[in-house]
Amino acid sequence: MATESIQPIRMTKYVSPQQEWKVIIAIYLYLAGMGAGSFMIGILIHWMGVALNPLPVPLIELFDVRLDLAKLPILWGPIMVSIGAPFLILDLGIKWRFMYACLNPRTSWVARGFIILSVFIVFGLLILAKSLWPFKWLNPESGLWLIPEGIAFVFAFATALYTGILLKATKSVPLWNTPLLPLLFLTSALSTGSMAIILSTLGTGLLSYHSGAMKVLMVGEQIFVVIEGIVLYLFLSRRYKASEQGRESVRLLMTGKLRYVFWQGIILLGFLFPIVLEWISKHYQSSALLFIAGLSLLTGGFFLRLGLIQAGIKDQIPMQRLVEFQYGLIKIPK
Amino acid sequence: MEQKVLLVDQQKCTGCRQCELVCSVYHTGASNPSRSRVKVVKWEQVGIYLPMTCNHCEEAYCVEVCPTKACHREPDKDNRVVIDKKLCIGCRTCIIACPFGQPFFDHQERVTVKCDYCDGDPQCVAFCNVRAISFVEADRAQMAKKKEAANRLADLLKQARG
Repeated sequence: MATESIQPIRMTKYVSPQQEWKVIIAIYLYLAGMGAGSFMIGILIHWMGVALNPLPVPLIELFDVRLDLAKLPILWGPIMVSIGAPFLILDLGIKWRFMYACLNPRTSWVARGFIILSVFIVFGLLILAKSLWPFKWLNPESGLWLIPEGIAFVFAFATALYTGILLKATKSVPLWNTPLLPLLFLTSALSTGSMAIILSTLGTGLLSYHSGAMKVLMVGEQIFVVIEGIVLYLFLSRRYKASEQGRESVRLLMTGKLRYVFWQGIILLGFLFPIVLEWISKHYQSSALLFIAGLSLLTGGFFLRLGLIQAGIKDQIPMQRLVEFQYGLIKIPK
Repeated sequence: MEQKVLLVDQQKCTGCRQCELVCSVYHTGASNPSRSRVKVVKWEQVGIYLPMTCNHCEEAYCVEVCPTKACHREPDKDNRVVIDKKLCIGCRTCIIACPFGQPFFDHQERVTVKCDYCDGDPQCVAFCNVRAISFVEADRAQMAKKKEAANRLADLLKQARG
């Protein structure tokens, strides 16, 4: 008979962060948010009819049909979400049962998220496929295509918002239990998404550094970063005052064992480096610096999700609190 | 049918963890406390032990967040909240949602498990030598006990705040 590991009597400390969701969930939230954000920006560029440069890539033919790659660098968001979704499946105890995950959409946000992401992936990939293949028999120039595009846009917005709602809906973690968290993840999705579009359009030559559209895109991205910074400040200050566990979570992030994730990953890579490097790149007209700023911002977006997930401390069990009061193990500050 | 609940008297508990062992043996066949549905929480520096079991809450967050309805209520069986292992996908959302630190992830079976009152005959109650855990009807007497505990907490809070 196989031996099983036996744990000692557990010494439950309410300052310990949750251990159930880890880096895999952070990757899932990041790819879903960034992919949805980039699709929203990309489809807006597509709707506004921005003049795009021809792509400097050789022609590719598939099944005797010449692929039109012109819109690929702005509509690849659903691919990112499609890559991110399997990470959620990877985190499940029994992976093949993932299709059961939509049975309780009435109250469960995991089930609603499964549906939201599925609809977005289907419609997003349809729009991407339409931009690649001519689909002449479906009349690609028809105004009716605005309907699936609109649905994809709405579900991209819902996906970006949902990544925060998923954490908020668990209720028992004070750090997550605030409407500011979905707002923070939405702004982060838009900032990382717009930066990802800047990098992909600049890298493929779809938009040149000096084009008007690129300038608008960069200003928009900088505005999203500033809004994200304000929301992050409000989020942390409100959570610090929310409850004992909220305060412990913020402390864990700012001065505890997650301080490197917070100061170097979130603040330095996610905010300071991109802002400073973008300013310098504008001054020296250097697209190389902009690339470094972009990669830094995208990395910071990942650390934001990772830090907030790892800092989630659950509310203290009421009975534990009662015992601690009864035996004078803790004092309430007067 | 009168609903029954598990009642824990923390002052009687000696921290022997017999409840964890019998729970594990009953549910998994293995004598492994880390797979039991009841957990003894302790404050080592003052020697206080508190067996924690599922409260089968009226408004159960685990039921609310479960995406597959694996975690559900059985009104005809002591109104208990149970997890159907055949439906559980092991997403662990219920573990994060429960304010009482309850459902546990069974690393052998790869699903989340929780107290099911051993189908009406809780083994932790049967084997607790000091009677720290009992399976009683949730009648008015228990309500009075709960009120007493709540009042005691309120008094302690007032004292602590001066």
